[in-house]
Amino acid sequence: MIELKDVSVRVTVDGQDAPKTLLDGVDLDLAERRIGVIGANGSGKSTLLRLLNGLVLPSEGSVCVNGAGTVDHVRKVRSQVGFVFTDPLSQLVMPTGREDVELSLRRSVKNAAERTARAESVLARFGLLHLADQSIYELSGGERQLLALAAVLAVEPTVLVLDEPSTLLDLRNKELLRRTVAALPQQVVMSTHDLELALDMDRVLVVDNAGVVFDGGPAAAVEHYRALCAASFEGAP
Amino acid sequence: MRGHGFLLANHVPGNSVLHRTPLWAKFVLVAGCGAASFLIVDWLVSAVVFAVMCGLFLLSGAGAQRLLRALWLMAPVLLLIGLFQWWQLGGPTAARIVLNVLVCVVAASVLTATTPVQDLLDGVAGLARPFRRFGADPERFALTIAVMLRSIPFIAGTFADVRDAARARGLERNPRALVLPVFISTVAYARQTGDALAARGLGDAEDDGGR
Repeated sequence: MIELKDVSVRVTVDGQDAPKTLLDGVDLDLAERRIGVIGANGSGKSTLLRLLNGLVLPSEGSVCVNGAGTVDHVRKVRSQVGFVFTDPLSQLVMPTGREDVELSLRRSVKNAAERTARAESVLARFGLLHLADQSIYELSGGERQLLALAAVLAVEPTVLVLDEPSTLLDLRNKELLRRTVAALPQQVVMSTHDLELALDMDRVLVVDNAGVVFDGGPAAAVEHYRALCAASFEGAP
Repeated sequence: MRGHGFLLANHVPGNSVLHRTPLWAKFVLVAGCGAASFLIVDWLVSAVVFAVMCGLFLLSGAGAQRLLRALWLMAPVLLLIGLFQWWQLGGPTAARIVLNVLVCVVAASVLTATTPVQDLLDGVAGLARPFRRFGADPERFALTIAVMLRSIPFIAGTFADVRDAARARGLERNPRALVLPVFISTVAYARQTGDALAARGLGDAEDDGGR
């Protein structure tokens, strides 16, 4: 269970006296298995997602994951919440997939042979074992995104947060990602511009202008988002 | 970003003498080359050591192409250093300094080419273990090496990308058009890497009381 209580995020901007508000007064209890977050660029989606793993800390209010606050227990939160970035190359640290998954496991598995075996098992689960020793730069976009997912899931988090994971993927890889995510046992919170993907969710939040402006079923949320987009063009040539 | 140069720090699987050499001996080799770069005063000796290190590299089976690529990536910096030293201290000193830097580069390449990264990280963490009593976290030392191995090829690739972009705009002779974007990309990359490591809980202290 993820709880956000009256959360605001403000940042200071060079040359401006007043802080900029990225999120304002967000109250949410997230318990559903599949939660989507949609909204325009710059609306606050990524900030909302980054709050869940302690990458962004609230300026006001609190964020708790299974009772652990992101301010006081960030390590515990991060052990429970895996985070996948839009661009897997931002996330993959090591030159090859095997090494990157092994890096994820360094804290939890001290024995090198056991670590290698665990890494191979994770890679095999995602159909990536044959690419384990290939440079991450030689993989396709879809393979990289799957590898980033595998590296995060290697430590078995209970919640998986994905920040626009399909943005850089072609149609086939989007479908592959969609199927992979659908089969995961973890609770998933995912921001996306792909409205088809949003329709797969159990609950969808629409973020606009630093706040959650709609919270409900996927079809109604997508409709609300479309209406917001249409309204933004009213009066435009 | 381009894919070239990214095999620079990669392990090359094999069964050469160097692959079978214990990690501590390879660490000693790299440290020895670093120390030698301060001790050697004759450029001819530097040239001989450089030739020996190149021979060792080729013995590892990583191939001449990779060796040349590693040296080529260093060429612009070494050219600048060499010219400056030649102007300041003369040809023999400039040659010695450039050759000594190359010796260190090849020694480090021998280490990374013949050692799986996880073994290297285990070795670094092991070396750092005595510092635990002073509050240091050995895994952070290992992580630093991991990030360094990742960063060098990234920056080299960024430089190549920026150079191409500058060429496309006819700005290849403008140093600002080359240096500034590389600098900005590198800072952005450092921030992204920090976020990625933090998100995966890597680099968090082992005994931070749950923080």
